[in-house]
Amino acid sequence: MKTPRGPAPADAAALPWLLPAAVLLAAFYAVPILDVARLAFSDATLIRAPGTYSLDAARALAGNPALPGILGTTVLFTGLSVAAQGLAGLGLALLMVRGERRGLHGMAALRTLVLAAWVVPGIAGGLIWGLLFSEAPFGALNSGLRTVGLPPVAWLSDPGMALVSAVIANMWQGTAFAMIVLYAALKAIDPILYEAAEIDGASAWQALRHVTVPLLRGALLVVAVLATVQTLNTFDAILALTGGGPGRATEVLALFTFNTVFTNLDLAGGAALALLLFVLSLAAALALSLWLAREEE
Amino acid sequence: MTRAPLALALLVALPASAQDDLIGRNRVGPADAPNALTFRLTPYDLYSSDPATREGFEALFAEFIRARPGWRIETQLATGEIGQEQARLLQQTQAGRGPDCAMVDSSQLALFEETGVLRPMNAVFSEEEVADLFPYVREAVTNEAGDVLAWWWFTDLRVLYRDTALVPEAPQTWDELEAAALATVDEGREGVLFSGGRWEGTAFDWLANFWAQGGELVDADGRPVFAEGENREKFLAAVEHVRGLVESGAAPGRVTAITDYDAFNAAAAAGTAALFVGGNWQLGQLRGILPPEEFERWAVSELPGPTADQRATGTGGWAIAALTDDPERAAMCGEIAKEIYAGPGNALQGLLPTSAAIYERYDAYDGPEYDLFAEALENGVARPGAAIYPEISTQIQILLGDVLSGSAEPEAALDAAAAAVQAAYERP
Repeated sequence: MKTPRGPAPADAAALPWLLPAAVLLAAFYAVPILDVARLAFSDATLIRAPGTYSLDAARALAGNPALPGILGTTVLFTGLSVAAQGLAGLGLALLMVRGERRGLHGMAALRTLVLAAWVVPGIAGGLIWGLLFSEAPFGALNSGLRTVGLPPVAWLSDPGMALVSAVIANMWQGTAFAMIVLYAALKAIDPILYEAAEIDGASAWQALRHVTVPLLRGALLVVAVLATVQTLNTFDAILALTGGGPGRATEVLALFTFNTVFTNLDLAGGAALALLLFVLSLAAALALSLWLAREEE
Repeated sequence: MTRAPLALALLVALPASAQDDLIGRNRVGPADAPNALTFRLTPYDLYSSDPATREGFEALFAEFIRARPGWRIETQLATGEIGQEQARLLQQTQAGRGPDCAMVDSSQLALFEETGVLRPMNAVFSEEEVADLFPYVREAVTNEAGDVLAWWWFTDLRVLYRDTALVPEAPQTWDELEAAALATVDEGREGVLFSGGRWEGTAFDWLANFWAQGGELVDADGRPVFAEGENREKFLAAVEHVRGLVESGAAPGRVTAITDYDAFNAAAAAGTAALFVGGNWQLGQLRGILPPEEFERWAVSELPGPTADQRATGTGGWAIAALTDDPERAAMCGEIAKEIYAGPGNALQGLLPTSAAIYERYDAYDGPEYDLFAEALENGVARPGAAIYPEISTQIQILLGDVLSGSAEPEAALDAAAAAVQAAYERP
C-alpha cells in the first residue's frame, strides 16, 4: 500500500513558513524603528508625549553647528577602530593557527584571554582603560613610560590623543570578535594550498598576500560590517573613559544621541540622531559589501 | 545639647534581630501589612554599602514603621546614574506608574515642579520649620502659594582643600590661589586640581567663579543671559582665571580629563595633591583613606574669589517629594523626610542639614569644619531652576575643555556656547 505524500518542499507555499520569522522581525525590529522615525518628526521630549508632527527636529539637527565635527569624529573613530580590530584580530588569529600547527602550548589560554576582553561590559572597559591612561603622576601607563626614561603622554587631556586612546580601548574590546571569526576562517583553509605555495617558492608574506587574504575575504567582510556597526553604536566605553571630552574631542554620534535624550531630555532630537545613525550603519554595511563583492569579481 | 544624640545612639544600638523581619531588600515593615507606600530611594542610606550607615538607617526605618501599624514601605532602589534615573522617574510619574514618594536631586526640583508632579506636604511641616530652611533651599521647595512641594533634606557645597604643610594660609583670592599652587609645584606637587572634563561637576564647580562676581546664567523668566552685557564680562573673567591656572602651570593639563571627585582623593592619598576644589563630603572620605597624621595636614576653606569679599559656592543635595495624589500617602512621605532623613539621617552620615536648627541639635556638627561649611553656605548658590540648565551645563563643559586644552579661545568658545544654548532654548 502506498502512503500518500504531500507536495515536495520546493512546491509548498512559502508564506506560512516565512510568516513566524517575519512577524518576529517586525515586532522586534521594524516596529521600534518605525516608532523612532515617528518620534523624529514629533516635538516629543522625554517628559512630554508627542503633540505635533513637523520637520523641526530634523531642521534643528541639520542646523546644529556641532554636527559636522561630531560626524568627523565618528568617522575617524569608526574607521581607525575597525582597521585596528581587523589587523589585530588577523595577527592574533595567524599567531594562534601557526602556534597550534607547531604544537605550542598556551594557545587555548591566549584565545581565552583575548575573548575575556570581549565579555567585559563597555562601561567596565572604559573604567579599566581610564585607570591605565590616568595622567596623574601615579597613572599606570605613564609610570611605565617614566620607568624606561620616556616622557609621559597626555592620553586623555589632549584632544587628539584622547581620540587615539578611545580607539585603543575600543580595539582592545573588539579584537576578540575579529580574532575568533578570522581564526575559524583560517582553520578552514586547506593546508595543501600553503604547501603548493611553498613549492612554488613563495615567501611567508607572499603566501599571506596571495593565499590567505583572498581566501579570508568573506570573513573579513563579516568582521568589517559587524565591527563597523558595533563601533558606530559604541558610546558606553567612551562615556566612562572621557565622557566625550575634552570639549567634544571624543563625542561620537552615539554618545551625542545619548546625551541629547538623557541630558537634554530632547526625545525628538535624539530620535532624529538615532535615525541618522541607523542610516549611516546601513550605508556603511552596504558600501562594504559592495566593495568586497566587486573585489571578488 | 539636647537628648537627640542619646536617642539616636539608642536607636542605632537596637539588636539587629529586632529589625531583621522588618527590613528587606525591597520592603520596610510587615510583608502582610494592608497599606503600602512606594518609596524610591538612592543607594546611599538604607541600602548603603557601608555597614554602619546601613544599620543606622535600618534602625531609623524600623522605628518609623513600628509607629505606623498596618503600613509597609515598598522600597525601589535607584541606581547611581542620577540623570537617567531622574528622567525615568519623571517619565514614569507622568505616565501614572511612578512611586508615591521619591528622592529627587535638588537640581531637578524645578523640572519636577514645572511638570506639575509634586504634591504638597503642607500638613507635615510647620511654618517655623519652613522659615528655618536656608533661603535658597526654601525658595526651591516652596511655590508662590507657600506649598511645601518637597523637603530638601541635605545640602552640599564646594570648598578648597589644601595641604597645610605646603599652604598654611587659605588662599582668599584667585591671585593668591595661583601663587600658592605655583609654590606647591616647586615642591614637586601638582598645584591645584579641579574638574575640567566632560561631566556636570566641571560646570558646577567652575560656576562658583562666575557667581562670585554676581553673574547670572538666566533671567527671571528662565531665558539664558550668561553671554550678554556684564554677565559676558564676568563669564570671560572666570574662564580666564582657570585658563591662567593651567597656562601658568599652577594646575596640570590633566584637569581636562578629570571627570569625578575620586581623582582628588586618589591624588591626596598618593601624596601628589596640594590643593583641590572638591565637595564638603570628601573631608570624611579623606579621613577614612589617609593615615591620621597625614589627614591632620589637610584643611578646608571657602573657594577663593576674584577679591576676598566676592565669594560663592555651588550647592546641591537631595530632596524627598510626594508624587501621589493620596493625601495620606503624601503626608507619610513628608514624615519619612522629617523623621528619618532631615536630622537623624543627616547626623548619621555627617551630611549638611538645610536648616540651622539641626546643626544645633546634633553633636556630629560640633567640629570647626562645620562652622566653616555653615559660613560658606551663606554664599551658597543653587543651580538655576530653569529647564535650560542642562544645556547650559553641557556647553560650559565643552567650552572649558576646549579652552583649557588650547583648542579654542574663550571669546569664540563663549559665542559658540551661547548660540547652542539659544538654539536649544528656542526649540519648542
